[in-house]
Amino acid sequence: MAPEPLPPLETAGSGPAPEPAGTGPQAPPPDAARFSHENAGGVTAASPDAAEPLVTVSGLDHWFFEGGMPKQVLREVNLCLHPGEILILTGPSGSGKTTLLTMLGGLRAAQCGSLRILGSELLHADPPTLTRLRRQVGFIFQAHNLMPYLNALENVRIGLEVRSDWLVRGRPAMDACAAAMLGRVGLADRISYYPEKLSGGQKQRVAIARALAPVPRLLLADEPTAALDRESGRDVVELFRALANESGAGIVMVTHDNKILDIADRIINLDGGRLVEKS
Amino acid sequence: MNALRRTPLAWRQVIHRPMRLVAALAGVSFANVLVFFQMGLSGGLYDSQKRPLQRINGELVMVSRRYLYLGEQLNFPRARLSQALGVQGVKAVTPLYLGLAEWINRDTRQQKQAMIFGLTPENPALRIPELEANPLLLQRSDAVLFDSRSKKVAGPVATIVGSGEIYQTELRGTRAVVTGLFTMGVTFAADINLLTSATNFKNYFPDQSADDIQMGVIQLEPGVDPRRVQATLQSFLGSSVKVLTIPELEKAEVNYWQRNTSFGIIFGLGVLVGLVVGGIIVYQILYSDVTDHLAEYATLKAMGYDDGFVVAIILQESLILAVLAFGPSLLLSLGLYGFLARSTSLMVVMTAQRAVLVFVFTLVMCSLSGWLATAKLRRLDPAEIF
Repeated sequence: MAPEPLPPLETAGSGPAPEPAGTGPQAPPPDAARFSHENAGGVTAASPDAAEPLVTVSGLDHWFFEGGMPKQVLREVNLCLHPGEILILTGPSGSGKTTLLTMLGGLRAAQCGSLRILGSELLHADPPTLTRLRRQVGFIFQAHNLMPYLNALENVRIGLEVRSDWLVRGRPAMDACAAAMLGRVGLADRISYYPEKLSGGQKQRVAIARALAPVPRLLLADEPTAALDRESGRDVVELFRALANESGAGIVMVTHDNKILDIADRIINLDGGRLVEKS
Repeated sequence: MNALRRTPLAWRQVIHRPMRLVAALAGVSFANVLVFFQMGLSGGLYDSQKRPLQRINGELVMVSRRYLYLGEQLNFPRARLSQALGVQGVKAVTPLYLGLAEWINRDTRQQKQAMIFGLTPENPALRIPELEANPLLLQRSDAVLFDSRSKKVAGPVATIVGSGEIYQTELRGTRAVVTGLFTMGVTFAADINLLTSATNFKNYFPDQSADDIQMGVIQLEPGVDPRRVQATLQSFLGSSVKVLTIPELEKAEVNYWQRNTSFGIIFGLGVLVGLVVGGIIVYQILYSDVTDHLAEYATLKAMGYDDGFVVAIILQESLILAVLAFGPSLLLSLGLYGFLARSTSLMVVMTAQRAVLVFVFTLVMCSLSGWLATAKLRRLDPAEIF
């Protein structure tokens, strides 16, 4: 599918008056207006089908040990995620969605089966391997978890600084990128605000900008629209779509929000630790 | 280079809440001042023991081979001192008689211990400006000079003599007349310092052999290395006497009091308490910082920052607190030292060595507290924040 230029994301009341894309005073610089991998190499939107899957899960079981008693949370999970694909994960609470998401993001090592993420095998992976993988993954948490002592721009910059390819470009480049991304989530006029001065929805959008700014090859989101109103929730998932289309990123999103299910290429239901594909 | 491009998270977090920062710095400074206070007082007590020795009018000193400190007088034959005159580089020698005697406070009739320094007025073994200005002060055969820094229990001697009168009392059962004052400072050995001539000294210690002295002061020709003369003298005189440089003599005095008083332990404990207080304050601040922001630290880990990075934030915070608190601590302590020196007549002075030592202490204490405060962070599993 051909990438389309994005309209700037503006939310009623929080941004400047809507302007045509690229011409407004707050518009991001041209190179930041689109998601692209300048350094990541490999996958681009132009050749999504030719590429290897970003995620390959096969025969994944997972146990938690509570008070010495093993409790199985994932059973025989098999899953594939291709570049440019958006996958929505649904299921009742306790079905293992969050566990699966944390494993995809390198927050937990796999105990058995196979878990290949962005070319790394995470079966029995050691902490340095997990840490390296996390730098390639964008995470959006249910709670925004912004650093209260940093302003919006700096919070987004933290997401860039963890990656050495961004760090070598220097602070002005990182600031420009962070500002552009905040512009795309409709916070161009809030970049120097501290989290305490932002509303819940604005904080969540800063957290989204933080995850998106480095243009991750894999984006994992846990209820990303829970704190957002209908309109800005819509804007955010459109932004996800743009990321997937323009950079070929794969996206896995846990959500109960029926209004955004249409964005998914596939919807997968987890029940009692087993995967059931819906569409 | 890359480190400079990073957002200084530790610094930003420290300055984020200015009031909390001020409270933290006040706490750490308080602990530092406590440490400086204890060190100043103990150092002052020991250094004050050197004051008579700092007045010695010569480069080398001859003492009995069993000499330990000023308060214990050990005799040796005066002839040994005269022998030193034969060594090249020695210009002159002069005896210093030392004795402890009971002084009677005229008003209370209380006996107090006095240390008597006997010297020859023609070439005094101690540099006493008051005597140099008026050598006739010790002309009377019962004349003594009184140290105006003696303890108050001696009686209102300084006031009476200062107003131009004389103060007559008994010293070792013999009449003594204070004809003048000098300023030196007492040691732990006695409450009172008195100065008199070698001739008068013998009146108070008639039981002593006229040929014995307690200390010999050796004055050298200009430009002569005291250490070389010391070595020559020592080999020449054999082992019946010791020849010491002034710094060696001072060191012996301080060592004696350090070994024979419990000040070292008392003040050492005080220093420890100060460090522990400071450590607890820093730990409290950083621990609550970690606990309050656990989710944010977990987020940093989830973003791909490693354990070392996250732990380093807290350690940097602890060092920032240590460095920021040190300046105010030093200024406050200088003020305190001035006050202590004025009000106790102890030699309480700030030395660069002590400042550096306390700075190192506070760095170690703060980073130790910081490390302890990171225990939770090191165990923190980023998967738990979901």
